[in-house]
Formats: sequence, structure tokens, C-alpha cells
Amino acid sequence: MNLQDFLAMEEGRDRDELIDLRSLDLVSEYDSHLMCPICHCPFVEPVRLQCDHVFCGSCLSSAITTFRSADSEEFPCPSCRNPTQEVSASVPRLLINMCDEIRVRCPLITEGCQEIIPRGHVQSHVEKYCGYRLLPCPDGSCDQMTRSKDVGMDQKCIHRVRRCPHCEEDVLEHEYEEHERELCPVLEVTCVDCETVVTKGALREHIESCPEVAIPCTASKYACPVKIRRADIAEHEQSCPIVAMGPYFETQNTRLKSLESSMRHLQQRNEIFEDGLANIRATLVESTRLGANSNSGGQPTQSGREQQSSARADVDTDDPADIAASVFSSNATTYLLSLHESLREEVSQLSHAITDLDVRASMAIMNECLRIKEDIAHTNAAVNSVRMQVQWLMNPRLHQGARGGAVRTNTTDNESSAAGPSHAAGQTLGPLRPRRPSDGGREGTKL
Amino acid sequence: MFATKRLSKELIKMQEHIPPGITIVKCDNLEEWQMDIKILDQNPLYLDQTYRLKFTFSNKYPIEPPEVQFIQCPASTGTPRTIPMHPHIYSNGIICLDLLGSAGWSPVQTVESVCMSLQSMLTANTRNERPAGDQEFISTNRRRIRDINFVYEDDNV
Repeated sequence: MNLQDFLAMEEGRDRDELIDLRSLDLVSEYDSHLMCPICHCPFVEPVRLQCDHVFCGSCLSSAITTFRSADSEEFPCPSCRNPTQEVSASVPRLLINMCDEIRVRCPLITEGCQEIIPRGHVQSHVEKYCGYRLLPCPDGSCDQMTRSKDVGMDQKCIHRVRRCPHCEEDVLEHEYEEHERELCPVLEVTCVDCETVVTKGALREHIESCPEVAIPCTASKYACPVKIRRADIAEHEQSCPIVAMGPYFETQNTRLKSLESSMRHLQQRNEIFEDGLANIRATLVESTRLGANSNSGGQPTQSGREQQSSARADVDTDDPADIAASVFSSNATTYLLSLHESLREEVSQLSHAITDLDVRASMAIMNECLRIKEDIAHTNAAVNSVRMQVQWLMNPRLHQGARGGAVRTNTTDNESSAAGPSHAAGQTLGPLRPRRPSDGGREGTKL
Repeated sequence: MFATKRLSKELIKMQEHIPPGITIVKCDNLEEWQMDIKILDQNPLYLDQTYRLKFTFSNKYPIEPPEVQFIQCPASTGTPRTIPMHPHIYSNGIICLDLLGSAGWSPVQTVESVCMSLQSMLTANTRNERPAGDQEFISTNRRRIRDINFVYEDDNV
């Protein structure tokens, strides 16, 4: 058929009812030769040009409306630029079959359909077989939508609320059957252990007190392996040696615990003392060195000589200079050391308090973060679903818009004057200059 | 809708495989992309240089051509980029190439093929000059690229 007929045919085709095959989610890889070079999707209703290049019918028609110079009978092929007058709808069956065989996800995946089907079957699947397509409720007075799998044989509205006569609870119509059969708390069930018949609502309570349910001995935490019926447990506990020893174990446990904690306390104190001792030693060595320097070569002082013997007991050294120096500074150092010790204790207390606060603050922040994250996830989900719906709603409108817009562009193109930017001023460019058929290698760089 | 679908497919394909000398710099939305191109042969005009291209897509892409131009980046950004010297590239980065105009464009072209065409256009060039009337054009032109009517007079490039 010629271009005019082809455009008229594409124009007249009603796509609003159809599924957009280009937006389907492809599951498998497909051969790149099956890809329309215009929309980069597998061919949809392909057509063939004289040069044997194949495009989707709708892609080609929008390309023609944009590129054909005013109603001429010719159109350059988008791939090879060969002028074309004829568009043929007869494309090898093989090509169409290969395109139809590409496996895609059902577009109703948003409703929950998980099926993967060949692309050629999508239309009939969505129209007839998919259990997740939405139908208007069979009851004309109800304006809600129903999934087709939920529409029963009897064509009843499933959105009506029905009150269960047994438990006085309001249940949706389509959930009523299940409710009546399995969930209603008035239903009677048999306890598996004692074979008493109780209502569903009271089952939990019953299990708590059923004499036939096997429960472990109270001494199970002290390794009594017995697990018998509730009715017999009292008897067992009378004779169980571990239950008798229970209180003893209990006291031993508490004792152990208190011992452990005091031990830990002592260890900490010990560490503090050791630190203090090491510090004292370091200070002594330092002051000794200082003293030795100041009395270099000199005699020990009078007071030093008097306390020499006592100092000798404290400091394990025979060097007279050392002894003298330590005695000289002993009073001051003792005072400083005690001060140092008390300060150290305070600092350690403070650091404990700070760690504690830190942990608490970070816990609080984490809790808050988790809540916020959850909120954001909820919002995201909501936004996504709104977006999907808007896209679905916009699709047919966009198609119409594109058709109208393309025609408009074509007319304005011809009116625009051809004033060149610099070297083109004054020259008039005729209606779009036809390109020469390209010979492959030059395609990229012609000017 | 059509444009975004097509662009996202192109992007996926380029992320899998990209021809040598072409890098994607920025493609975080489907309206404006930036690409870096390098000239691979030993043309002394463009030796060891990288040039940055800006693609602006309308929502009718690929039926309508994208606006393509070279852009400059100051050295302070860490990737200094200049406008290549070429008798058909104005010093503000606007390119006079028929396949980017509505007459020479074909919807079969892709971002990748445009980049490769520009690579080969630079490779083949030997003249170290700007188009005639460059100063006048860049000082007077306020039109958008798609509204400029170029005359493609030179078939030798």
C-alpha cells in the first residue's frame, strides 16, 4: 500500500483498548534483530519497506508524519535513507512468531498475577484468563472493582458486609465462607490431648489448663528430663529428687552470683591500686633523677641522713643520692599522690557515666530512626502505587496527544524561514533537501 | 513516555557495552545527559584531549533529534574540558552537523551513534579553525539550537 493508505490505516487503528506491548516486562533475552530500531522494543505489528527494513507500524507512522516533506509520495527509510513509496504489511510469519514468543510478565503483576506468558498471549490472558484483572462488581449498585477470580458462580457482590450470626462479627461477603468454616471463634474444636470439645475462642485458655497436655517438670532448669501430663505432674514433683533439692540450688546460685559480683569489684579496685603503685614508682624515679642532678657531687642533707635508715626500707636502692632525694621530696609527693588518686577515681566515675549516657542516647536515636524508616517505606509504597495508576491512566491520552502533536509539527516546519546563522543569511532553503542515499561508510559525518 | 522508555533502554545497553573513547558522565535524569568523547587516532589537533557533550532530549525523542552541543568545564571542576577546534563547531559549542538537524536526523540514531559520528567528524578534520562569522554568531545568537536554520554547504567533512 502507499504511504497515504498506510498512515490512514495506522491513524484509524484503535489502540486504547489494547495493552501497551512496549511497556511489558520482558523476562528473557531476545535476539537484537527482533528489536525495532526506533523504539528499541521487540517489533509490535511490524511493517516492511521496499528496502526490506522492518519497523513497528506505529513507530514508522510517527516517523513518516514527522519527516516526510509536505505530502510527497516518498519517504526516506530511517535505517538506510532509501526513498520509499510502498509500505508492506506482509512481514515473514517467522519474524512475527519469534516476536510473539518472547516471554513476558503479566502486566497485572501490580494486582498480584505472577504468571509469565509468551507476548502473543498477553492480550487474551489479560482479557480472559488472568484471575487478577479487575471487573466491575457484579452487583450494579456497588461501585467497587473485583478481581475476576473472586467473582463466584453466583455473581454476588463481595463487598457487602455480612454479620456472622454466631460471633456477632462483621465479615466481608467473600471471606464469610472461610470465616464460617474455619475462623469463627464460636466454632467448636476438639483438644488434641484430652479430646474435650471447646470453642475456638477458648482453645488457648483450655490448653493452658488442660490436664492432658504434657508439660515439663518445674525442676527442668536444673536438668530434670521428665515431661509428663499436667495431671500427673504433682505426683512426679513429690518424688523428684531434683525438685527437692531445688531451694538449695537456688541459694547456691544467688551466692555464686553475689560472689562473682564482689570479685569483679575487687578486681577493679586491684587494678586501680596497681596503676597507682606504678605511678608512684614513676614519680619516685623522676624525682630521684632531679634530686641527683641538683645535689650533683654534693653531700646528703642533714635531715636526709637522719631518715636514711627508714627510707632504705621503702626504697630498694643503695645509692645514697637516690635515698636522699626521695626523702627530700617524700612529704610533697605523698600529698600530690593522694590528690592524684582521688582525681583519678573521679575521672573514672565520670567516664563510666558518660559511656552510660552515650549508650542510652544511641539507643534512643536508633529507635527513632527505625520508626522513621518504616514511615518512609510506607510512603514510598503509596507513591509508587499512585504513580503506576497515573501512568496507566495517562497512557491512552499520551497516545492521542502524540498523534495530534505530530501533525501540527509537520505544518509549522514548512513555514519556518531559512535564515542561516552566519553564512546562511539571505539564502532560501527549499522544502527540505532530500538526502542522497547513503553508502554506509559516510553516514556519520556528512555536512 | 515513549522517550523515557527508549532512553532507559539505551542506557542499559550502554552500561553493558560502550564503544572505546566514549564515557557516560551524567545521566541521572532522562532529559539531559552528558558524555565525554576522546579522539582515538593520532590527529595532532585533538591529541590527548577529552571533550564533553551535552544532550538535551525532548519528549518526542527519538522521532525528534536531541539538542547536542559541546560544553566547557573550568579547570576547577577537576575535569577541564574545552570546545574542540573545527570549521563546523562554533566557539560556544554549537555544532553544525546535518544529522543533528531535523532534516538529517533519523529515529534509528542513538546517543551512542551520535557520539561515534562526532568522533569521526573530529578525526577526519585537518583544519584548525572556527566557522566563518564565528564571533558574530556567538555574540548575536540567542535562539535555541533547534530553532537555528543551518545551511549544510560543505559535503567534504
